Amino acid sequence: MKGRLVILWVVVGIPLLWGVLKTLQNAMKLFH
Amino acid sequence: MTSSFFDRESTVAPPGFNRFLVPPAALAVHLSIGQAYAFSTFNLPLTKLIGITHSAPGDWDLKQVGWIFSIAIVFLGSSAAVFGRWVERVGPRKSMFTAALCFGGGFLLSAFGIHLHQLWLIYLGYGALGGCGLGIGYISPVSTLIKWFPDRPGMATGMAIMGFGGGALIAAPLSVMLMEHFKTAASNGVLETFVTMGVIYFMYMMIGVYSVRVPAADWKPAGWVAPVQPKQLVTSANVAVDMAWRTPQFWLLWGVLCMNVSAGIGVIGQASPMIQEIFAGRVSPAVAASFVGLISLFNMAGRIFWASTSDYIGRRNTYMIFFLLGIVLYSSVPTLGHLGSIPLFVAAFCIILSMYGGGFATIPAYLRDMFGTYQVGAIHGRLLTAWSVAGVLGPVLVNYIRQYQIDNGVPKAQAYSITMYIMCGLLLIGFLCNFAMRPVKEKYHYRGSIP
Repeated sequence: MKGRLVILWVVVGIPLLWGVLKTLQNAMKLFH
Repeated sequence: MTSSFFDRESTVAPPGFNRFLVPPAALAVHLSIGQAYAFSTFNLPLTKLIGITHSAPGDWDLKQVGWIFSIAIVFLGSSAAVFGRWVERVGPRKSMFTAALCFGGGFLLSAFGIHLHQLWLIYLGYGALGGCGLGIGYISPVSTLIKWFPDRPGMATGMAIMGFGGGALIAAPLSVMLMEHFKTAASNGVLETFVTMGVIYFMYMMIGVYSVRVPAADWKPAGWVAPVQPKQLVTSANVAVDMAWRTPQFWLLWGVLCMNVSAGIGVIGQASPMIQEIFAGRVSPAVAASFVGLISLFNMAGRIFWASTSDYIGRRNTYMIFFLLGIVLYSSVPTLGHLGSIPLFVAAFCIILSMYGGGFATIPAYLRDMFGTYQVGAIHGRLLTAWSVAGVLGPVLVNYIRQYQIDNGVPKAQAYSITMYIMCGLLLIGFLCNFAMRPVKEKYHYRGSIP
C-alpha cells in the first residue's frame, strides 16, 4: 500500500512540478 | 466482467485502505482536463494550417478559432449540470472513464477535423465532446473526496481543483514542445499534437479511473468523531439535488461563485495587454507573458491554500476575505498604475488570482456545509452554470468597457480604471450574497435512506 501511495503521488507530482518550474522559469523574466 | 469493474460497488475500498491514495486519482483527472486553460496556445497555429508559416487564403481566422474554447466552457457548465445526478449514481470510476473517453476522443475528433480542414468537426470534437469530458471530469471526484475527508473537506477538494489550475501549467509548455517536435515543411504539427495529446490524456486519466475508490458506507477516519454541536453554517442533514436548487442558499452560492469568477476571469483574459498598456514602454510582450504565467501559478496555489484555510476559518469567512480584500485590491489598481509601481501591481494581481482560484476550490466544501454530502457532486454540477455565465460576463465587461473608453478618447493606460471599479461592484454583490447566507430550512431536508 505504501509503495502504491508513493508511486501515485510521484506520477501526478512530477508533471505538476515540471509545469510549475517551466512557469517559474518564464516568470523570472518579469524580475530582470 | 468489464461492466462490473466500472460499477460503484467494485470501487468500495477494503478495510485499511489509505485515503491519501484518492487525491492523486482525482489529480490525474484534473491535471488532464486543466489543459483547457492552455488551449490558446493552439489558436495561432490553427489559423496557419494551410499556409504553415503564415495565414493563407482558406485558413480560419482567430475569431472563428476562438469559438472552440468558448463552446468547450459552455459544454463544461451544462454537462456538469445535466450529468451531475448520473455521476452521483454511477460513482467516480464510471464517470471518470466517460470523461476520459470524451476528453481524449474530443482531441482525436478534432485532429480528424484538422485533417479534413473542417472547423465544425473541431467545434464538435474539442468543443462539445471535449467540453462534456471537462464537465463530467471536473465533478467526478468531488463527492468522493468529501466523503473520504469529512475532517478536511476543503483541503481534499482544493487538492483536486488545484489540479485543474496546474493542468494549464503543464499543457502550455507541452503543447509548444509537441508542435515544435512534429513541425515539418508540410505541417505545423497541430494535427499530430492533437492526436498525441488525446492519447496521453486518455491514458493519464485512466490512472485515476483505476485507482479511485469510494469509502464504505460506515467508514470514518480513525479517531475522528463528527462534531456533536455542528457550527451554525455546517449542516448534519442532507438536501437532494432537486430540492437544493429551490433553496435561496443555492442561488446565493450561485451569486457568490458567479461574482468571484466574473471579476477574476475578465482579468485573466486581458492580463497580457493590460500590463503592457498600463505600463506602456516598460513592459514587453515577453515580459507580459511572464506576468500571465505568474498569475496562473497563483491561481493554482490559491486553490489549495484558500480551500485548506477554509477548513479552519470557515467557508463564509473565507469568501468574506475574497470579497473585501478583492475590493481593496481592485480599487487600488488604478493608483498603482498611476504610481508606475510594477512590483506592487504584480503583487496585487497575484493575490487577486489566488482568490479567484480559491473561490473555485472552496465552493464544493461550502456546498457540503450547506447541503450535506448526499448528492453534493450533483449540486456542484448545477452550480457550475455560474461559471458559464461568468465566462461570458467577465470578459465582456472588461473588453467592452475598455474599448468604449478608448473610443471616447481615454488614454489606453487609463482605460482600465472604470473596469476595476465595476469589478469592485461585482465583488460587492458577491459579498452581500455571502453575507445573507443562513442555514437551509428543515423543510428542504432529505428524509429518505442514503445509499
